[in-house]
Amino acid sequence: MVRLDKDRFGDFIGSLTGDYEVYATVTVDGKSSFREIESADEIDSSCLVTDRTPKEIFFPHSEVLFEFDEDGVREVKRKGKPIAVWGLRGCDVKSLALLDKVFGSARQMPDNEMFQDPYWKEKYDGSLIFSIACNEPRSTCFCNWFGGGPHRKEGSDVFVVDIGDAYLMEPVSEKGRAFVDKMTGTEEASASDKKKAEELASTAKGMMQEAPPLEGLKETLKGVFDDEIWEEMSAKCVNCGACAFVCSTCHCFDVQDEGKGGKGKRIRIWDSCMFPIFTREASGHNPRHLSKDRFRQRVMHKYSYFADNYGEMLCTGCGRCVVACPVGVDIREVIKDVMSYQGKGAR
Amino acid sequence: MKELREKVKELLAGKQVEMVIGWEKSSRSLQATPVFIDSPEGADRLIFDSTCGNNPAVYFTKDSRRLVKDGKKVGVVAKGCDARSLALYMAERQVKRDNIVIIGAPCRGVIDANKVAALTEGREVLDLSEEDGKVTLKGRDFDLTVDTNEILSSSCLACTYPDARECDIFIGEARGEVPNEERYTTIDDFEKLPAEERWEKMKDIYSRCIRCYACRNVCPSCYCNECFVDQNDPQWIGKSHEITDTMIFHIIRNLHVAGRCVECGACERACPMGLDLLLLNRKIAREMEERFGYVTGVDAGTKPAMADFREDEKQDFIMG
Amino acid sequence: MKDWQPKILAILCTWCSYAGADLAGVSRIQYPPTIRVVRVPCSGRVDPLFIMKSLQSGFDGVLVSGCHPGDCHYLSGNYVARRRFAMLKPLLEFMGIEPDRVQFSWISAGEGERFAQVMTKVTNDVKKLGPAKRLVKGA
Repeated sequence: MVRLDKDRFGDFIGSLTGDYEVYATVTVDGKSSFREIESADEIDSSCLVTDRTPKEIFFPHSEVLFEFDEDGVREVKRKGKPIAVWGLRGCDVKSLALLDKVFGSARQMPDNEMFQDPYWKEKYDGSLIFSIACNEPRSTCFCNWFGGGPHRKEGSDVFVVDIGDAYLMEPVSEKGRAFVDKMTGTEEASASDKKKAEELASTAKGMMQEAPPLEGLKETLKGVFDDEIWEEMSAKCVNCGACAFVCSTCHCFDVQDEGKGGKGKRIRIWDSCMFPIFTREASGHNPRHLSKDRFRQRVMHKYSYFADNYGEMLCTGCGRCVVACPVGVDIREVIKDVMSYQGKGAR
Repeated sequence: MKELREKVKELLAGKQVEMVIGWEKSSRSLQATPVFIDSPEGADRLIFDSTCGNNPAVYFTKDSRRLVKDGKKVGVVAKGCDARSLALYMAERQVKRDNIVIIGAPCRGVIDANKVAALTEGREVLDLSEEDGKVTLKGRDFDLTVDTNEILSSSCLACTYPDARECDIFIGEARGEVPNEERYTTIDDFEKLPAEERWEKMKDIYSRCIRCYACRNVCPSCYCNECFVDQNDPQWIGKSHEITDTMIFHIIRNLHVAGRCVECGACERACPMGLDLLLLNRKIAREMEERFGYVTGVDAGTKPAMADFREDEKQDFIMG
Repeated sequence: MKDWQPKILAILCTWCSYAGADLAGVSRIQYPPTIRVVRVPCSGRVDPLFIMKSLQSGFDGVLVSGCHPGDCHYLSGNYVARRRFAMLKPLLEFMGIEPDRVQFSWISAGEGERFAQVMTKVTNDVKKLGPAKRLVKGA
């Protein structure tokens, strides 16, 4: 574990931008997101969970897949240095790993040998992740429900703790170790530094609300699939896409061709199962034409179907959906209601 | 609040309504959440304060309609703007006056969470309490008291109809019509800027849009079964976040709700990216008032302005 | 670029304005060849979306023309259209789009000469503004 004094942070970022396209938390007009930066002055280190999701670094809202004209198809290749991200939180690091199971090298469904998403891979493989510990989780954070925690390191390349006057940097992966070993301007972390980090970790853990019992969530959900509980829980949902679009693990997309006069492009854009036409078929029939069906679908996908297929919940407890929902749907309440439901299909 | 809960209990116990739509406390200190009460005991969940920002009228044109079987009555706790949306629905035949019981609530304005975040520099507000025109915001390590006006939604600062004009019961103290000569100052100030600057500002605002459609979905005036955005034969605008597509989405949405928008501000408060959505709506609302003397929903019987006409009207913008 | 000719979309109502355009043609009245015509049954059919999409596609100007108030073939279509345009024009100007790019007129079936005059005026107005850049997709 090494220690980087904060007054050397500017130089560190400066050298990082030499080898990498560096993304960090930037706040513009009151809303925070991960944006490409050139210097440490642009970084807003006070934001915890960003308003916009970091998945947009690797899986942007609108991405041109290829362009076409009379001469044929032209792929749009991403040029440039590999990506480094400074300041991802433990929940976000995990969400990227979950997305990698769908799009990238960790692909599991159906088989790894089948097509992996090249657009994802060219950005994510080879990226360097500096995750930062949360010293003050928000009331909307619930990463501890799904095996996470404010000082979670797994999945990161270098785990960073802000101890006030310095950053403690702990390599987690091979790539991270190689990077830290080459770093200049750092010192070995002292025992008191490490103690400070441990104290921050335990304080942060204490700030989080205890997770309710969640064992058997995915089976319980299937058990209550046909029950009336969904009517009540979905009543206030207005079926916009705010939750899916701020969510770090939601990954449904639509492909649109836009063209005119013999040339155009194919664009991939985010889509949401909450939109009414998500499952509308060519005949006009829509199996999820009711709002409650779409609401149920989102919950089932995240906490049941994904778990069946990939072994983990498609949620990292970042709480962005809780903050963003215009009508105040709280997915934590939904889960708790399902687990405590004593009706027809409940176990 | 006690009066509200008592009245709702009465209505439900006396079977005058099957359900009451109101607000209850949510996990977010600054924003209450809609609640559908169908039993007298449930009425104790109801609250009414400056965190009640949604426009509950929207539920009358959503799937939630199925919660109320045909012909049965529904009660709605309504601020002034919400009741105007209901009046609009009556004019547009989306709701029968006999099927709803409007419970007017004494609105003093709704909080804008983005303004609070600016004040607290992004630090989370864990508790909020109000008294006498002041709001106290408490976080983990701060305690701020501010004038409520400093953090009210821009729609509320410009509001002239805080009370439900068309209502069956009114809770608390009504304020009556609040004359507000200054209410279009932000629009005037924006108009004074040169065209180049206005265009750049507009581009700046809409470049933050993520096309989540939260604004459209919380708006009671947007209830088309198929929104123009979803039409694909022909496709009017692209769905990516390309700036012209996004700007046209907002321009057209505002034109589609022209003369039907009650300036409740639900759209602006719903936006997860904090866009200044009310700028266009309010410009249109002012044009409506100046040209046609029309304000949406103040009279349940008035036809919406865009569905109506007078033979002699100012047409200075038309050649010949 | 001094030979640049603007592309103007003219949305004309069938019964009056389109007939007026036809009359201009039959009478061999000259006017700038900058317009592309879309015929609609009534000016009341014109959705602001048509105008926005045209600007987005790269038209430098849009003219919508209908029957004079009181003479609408469908009785009140142009009254409703008038209200719509009354909202659209100030809104576009508010956004910073040059007001002369989108114009409206009432031209009757017998006003061939006037049609030519209106087209000439619109063409000149748009020429002064130059090619459309704002709201053009891919610009």
